[in-house]
Parts: sequence; structure tokens; C-alpha cells
Amino acid sequence: MSEKKNVLIEFRHVDKEFNKPEEGVYKVVGDLNVEVRENEFLVLFGPGQCGKSTILNMVAGFEMPTRGEIICNGNKVERPGPERGMVFQNTALFPWLTVMGNVEYGPKMQGVKKEERRARAQKYIDLVGLQGFENSFPVKLSGGMQQRVGIARAYCNEPLVMLLDEPFGHLDAQTRYLMQDELTRIWQAEKRTVIFVTNNIEEAVYLADRILVLRNCPTGVKAEYEINLPRPRNYTDPEFLRLRREIDAVVDHTL
Amino acid sequence: MKQKREKINKYIIVSIISVCLGIFAWWLVTDGLEIFRSNVLPSPTKVLRTFGKKWVETKPDGATLLQHLGASLQVALGGYFIGALIGIPLGIFMAWNDKIDMLVRPVFDLVRTVPGIAWTSVMVTLVGIGFMSKALVIFISAMVAMVINSYSGIKQTKTVHLWVGQTFGASNWELLTKIAIPSALPMIFTGLDVALGASWTTLVAAELLASTRGLGFMIQQARGISRLDIVIVGMIVIAITGSILSAIIRKIGEHVVKGARLQ
Amino acid sequence: MKKVYEKYKRIYWGVLGIFIFICIWYAATKFTGFGNIMPDPITVFGGFFRSFVKPIGTKTMALHILISLSRVLVPYVIGGVLGVIVGVLMGWYKLADAILMPYIQMIRPIPPIAWIPLSIIWFGFDESSKYFLIFLACFFTIAVTTYNGVHSVDDTLVRAARMLGANDRQLFTTIVLPTTVPYIFSGLQVALGSAWATIVAAEMIRSSEGVGWLIVRGQDVGNMEQIMIGIVAIALTGLLITTLMRVLENKLCAWTVRGK
Repeated sequence: MSEKKNVLIEFRHVDKEFNKPEEGVYKVVGDLNVEVRENEFLVLFGPGQCGKSTILNMVAGFEMPTRGEIICNGNKVERPGPERGMVFQNTALFPWLTVMGNVEYGPKMQGVKKEERRARAQKYIDLVGLQGFENSFPVKLSGGMQQRVGIARAYCNEPLVMLLDEPFGHLDAQTRYLMQDELTRIWQAEKRTVIFVTNNIEEAVYLADRILVLRNCPTGVKAEYEINLPRPRNYTDPEFLRLRREIDAVVDHTL
Repeated sequence: MKQKREKINKYIIVSIISVCLGIFAWWLVTDGLEIFRSNVLPSPTKVLRTFGKKWVETKPDGATLLQHLGASLQVALGGYFIGALIGIPLGIFMAWNDKIDMLVRPVFDLVRTVPGIAWTSVMVTLVGIGFMSKALVIFISAMVAMVINSYSGIKQTKTVHLWVGQTFGASNWELLTKIAIPSALPMIFTGLDVALGASWTTLVAAELLASTRGLGFMIQQARGISRLDIVIVGMIVIAITGSILSAIIRKIGEHVVKGARLQ
Repeated sequence: MKKVYEKYKRIYWGVLGIFIFICIWYAATKFTGFGNIMPDPITVFGGFFRSFVKPIGTKTMALHILISLSRVLVPYVIGGVLGVIVGVLMGWYKLADAILMPYIQMIRPIPPIAWIPLSIIWFGFDESSKYFLIFLACFFTIAVTTYNGVHSVDDTLVRAARMLGANDRQLFTTIVLPTTVPYIFSGLQVALGSAWATIVAAEMIRSSEGVGWLIVRGQDVGNMEQIMIGIVAIALTGLLITTLMRVLENKLCAWTVRGK
């Protein structure tokens, strides 16, 4: 992997505070400065409620930083936009639309013609391995399949960056491993910049080009690891285990 | 956050202005410009005055507002409590015993499609105009609502919870009283609220139809002599009483089912 | 054999239950004093079917039912359409919410039936007073359920739509409306039940035809058979319209878990 890639997203002194009715001002993110390179697979890894999702929500434009700014592709992030695709932990699929309806939703909103967006949606449905389920409603699908739809839906909008917020958090262990492989395959087939949030250390090492270990609130980068293991990776590889141990030692363990 | 609070305040002010404008418009078309006469639309001041006077005055319907209200409450609450007393156990029983459920359910489903008010004619013919016929009609309305809600409350008991009970060796009776009924409590209280609304509505209807006392009787009498101010006062008292009763039930419900809000 | 029983046991027990109910009714009228004031079920159901050919008052049963239904239908449709529009407006625009909500909260606690005297003064004894009543019975219920529907829109779905590039108008048509449809339906069902009850009451108080008139006329002349026939007609018609609504809901809201 070349080191001199373009910077796609930049966090500049980002602070995020919430007002809690009882405790007053609660600082979630403190002076975050991160550069995200084009087409890298960046994993944000940290303990339970450390504000990882808040960081992702700010990139997506759902929430605004209290101070500082986030630059995406040269523009300041001020609102959600199709160049930043999000895959939600609880899938957030539209239950009244079929798989096809969900995947083609983005292009449809953009006013892409029917044949074109159908073809594009079909391409991504095929990519995530859901051919044959185009006309199923989400309730009929298993958790893993639902999240495939979520990934296809975000991909189909052809965003510059994919934001994944603990997308496999609700899946059982077997499906989780499978989905990690699938995500690697999809990402290698259609390279995108990815910011992936997880609290699972194995998942982080398995997927990442680079891991940012986050500290507890107010969160910031505690440590940074470049993972140069060849893909597909192996959970029992000695180097994998060594990295896992090393990172584990750095993390703030909380209950 | 601060911005948000200011925004909420702004909308409350809009609401207040909206209500004031409404009342002003009402005043304008009655007292102000005298477009409507008081037997078509009485002015807000007249309604207010009547509302004040009716507490002591028995004209034109023979009783003060308080006496009417008392009479209505007596009938409504009487029928309501008996309805709840029989409806809750019946609903629980129906839901708990499969055979009884299958046997009684279709008959019950048929009976409940008849609006409570339609039973007035039957009851008046059976026992005559008076406390009893109205109380019976309200009893039916309240009971139907109670059965439906306590029935579905019991039916929604989580199977896992019953299994937990079984692993501890609970008997059928213990499963019902220790697990199913407590978990059905929120629904039972919903039923109590719905049944109260049904009782109150049915009561007003029954009093419009066949009565010599009560708020429904009062507005029907006032209608006969075109005293619209009394009609409106009656409607307001009916609405406020209904809301207060429902609020009381909800408060009690919140107290009783504290921990069970996890539905 | 056992499988057949499992499959049809609900019907089997249900029919048995209704049969037992009718038997008790029959026995009570034949062998106790109850029979002096209450006709037996055979007379009632016989009378009910006979009334389709032999008129009660000036009209046959089918006409009485149709008249009552038509009194519900017109204001139900108007109240429903207006209710949905107002509910959506209030749900979507904070300003509309602030202006209209206080009125809805003030008027809604008044039972529709309590409007009967007022409606008679304002609209006289003809159809328009009944239309007014049914309109009130439907409008507020549907407006409030629609409003709740708009407010129940899932935040993450809104985020997902925004993320996929939906603008305000698209957000409304593709996310808010579909979320609201099941709420509108439950509002329509509740409103229909309350409209049916209200029309029966209104007809009992002042009318010369319709199912409510049937029973109150029976009461006036002390004819219990006619009252019971009227009640059977009200029950069966009520059952018919609620069943129709449920079928319609299952067709239109197939994607909800509830619809399955």
C-alpha cells in the first residue's frame, strides 16, 4: 500500500459536546485530528460508549461538531450527502420497500432513469450475493442478509466514502465471520474509502489497513497501527495474534 | 440546545395567540358584531356567565350543575366498576383457558360489535327508565372493553417468562397469578382507561335518550328550549369530567405498574 | 383424525359456543318467566330474515341498513380525507401544529354523541345534522392518529434517506407517508367503529328510518322482537364493515409485521 495517497477526509480540532439535562455539558470528542486517506480501510476501535458512533455521525453530517471542522473532498461537512454512504448498526432498511427498492433508493432520489438505476442496483445486489431476493421485503431476510442489503444500498449511491457503524454488532459469531470475509471481498472488488467502527478487536485487525485506537470520553486517538498483513487474513496467524495482544494492552478497559 | 428551547417557547406563544384569536373571533361574531343570535351561537361571555350561574340555579331543567354531574357520575361509575369487576376476571379466564376461549370468543365477538348505546332500548323495555337501565347499559360497554384488554394482556405474556416459572416448579395457578397477571397489568390498565371512556360516552347517550337527571338530560332539555349556552356548558363539563377521570386512572396505573413498562 | 381436529378445532368450538348460547337463550325464554318479555332466538332470527321481504315501518331491512350506512359513508370519507390532510400538516409543519393542536385537544374530549343537541339546533332534523355528527366522530380520531403516525417516523430511517440524498419533499413522500399509512388505517378503523355507534345513537334520538330507529321504535311500542331484530342487524353490519376494513388493511400494508 502506498503511503503517499491523497487525503480524502480531514478532522481539524474537532470537539463534540452534548448537553445532558442532569450532568450539564458532557464532552464526547476532544480535539480530534485525523486524516483519512483515499481508498484506505480505516477502523476506529475503542471501548463501549467512547463516542465512536458520534465521530461517524459527524462525518455523515447527522451531527455537527461543537468546535472545529470536518473536511471531505475539499468541502466542509455541513449536512448529509450522497458522497458519504452509511451502513447502520440496526440496518435502517426501509421496511415497506423490497430489496431492489432499498438498493435503488439513492439513485432514484438523484433522479437517475429507471433502467439505469435498476441495472446499477442489480450490479450491487449481485456483488453482495443477494441475487434472487430482489423482490423480498426486509422482514423476510435474516440479519446477515439484511446487512448485505444495507451495504449494497450504501454502495449503490457510489459514495466517495463508506461509513460503517458496527454493522455486524447484532449478528451471531458465525455470520459475523462470514460477513467480514464478504466485506473484504466487496471492498477489494469496488475500492472505496472505508471508515469502520467496531468494539471487536479481532474484527478490527482482520479488516483494517489502519487502526485508530480511541480512548474513553472525551475521545481522541490513543494509538495508531498500520496493519500490513496480506488478505485474506487468518485469525490464528502468529502475527495476527501478536497485533491483537499489542492493541489489547493499549485499550482503556471499562465496564 | 438553548436554541431548541427558544424554538419551543416560540411555538407555545403561537398556540396561545391562536387560541386567543379563536376566542376573539367567537366573541366578534356574537357580542361584537351580533351576526349570530344567542339561540344559534351564544357568546363566550354568555357561556361563562351561564357556567357560573348553573352551579346554583335549578332552572330550566330542575337541578343544579353539580346535581346533574353527581347523578351522571353515580351512574357511570356504578356501571363502570361492576363492569370492571366482572370484565377483568372474565377476560383473564378466557385468555388462560383454551377451551373456554374457543367456546366463548365467537359469541363475545358478536356481542361486542353492538354499540353499548343500542342496548338502551332493550334495558329500558326490560327494567324501565331509571338508574338500573342506564347502569346496565354502561356495565355492558365497560365490560366489553375490559374483557378485550385483559384478554390480550394475558395473551401477550412472554412464553419465556412462563418457562422460567415452570422451571421453578410453579403450578398452573401460580403461573397465572405470579407471571401472567402481573405482565398483563399495563394492558389491564389500558382497558380500565378505555372502558372509562366508553362508560362516559355511553352514559351521555343514555341520558340523552332516557333520563330525568344528569348532564346528558340537561343538554337535551336545554336543546328543547334553544338554550344553547346551557348546551355548551354541558358539553364542556362532560369533556372536562371525562378527561379528569381518565387522568386519574392513568395516574393510578403509573403507580401500580411501575416496573412493568418494559413492553 | 387428530390433525383434522387441530385444524378445525377453533371453528368446531366456536360453532359449539354459539349453539350453546342460543340453546340457553331458547331454554330461558321457554321455561322461565324471561319468555314473557324476551322473544326466543328462533323468533328473532326468523323475524330478522323475514324483515328483508316484509317491511318494518315503511322500509325493508336491507333499506334500513343501507340508509344507516349511507349516513355514515359520506361524512366518513370527508372526515377521513380532511383528517389525514390536517394530521399530516400538523405532523410535518410545527406552525400548523402550534395553531391547530390546542383546538383539537379542546374539542376531542367531547364525545361525538354529546354533540347531538347542538347538531340538531344548528342543522335541524334532516340528514345534514347526522353528517355533521359523523364528521366530528371521524375527523378528530383520524387527524390525531395520522399526526402520531408522522411523529413516529424512525429517526435512523430519516438519516438513511438523507444520507442517500433525499430532499425534503422526497423524504416526505418516500419515508413519512409510508410510515404513516398503518397509523391512518388504525385511525380509519377506530373512526368507523365510533361512527357506527354514533349513527345508531343519532338515529335513536331522532329519525324515521335506519337501524337505530328500528330499535327505538320497538322500545316506544314495547315490541321486544323488533328491538332484538334491530340489534342483530346492528351487530351483523358492524361485523361486516370491520371485517372489510381488516381485509383491506392486510392488502395495503403487507409489509408490516402486523399485516402478516
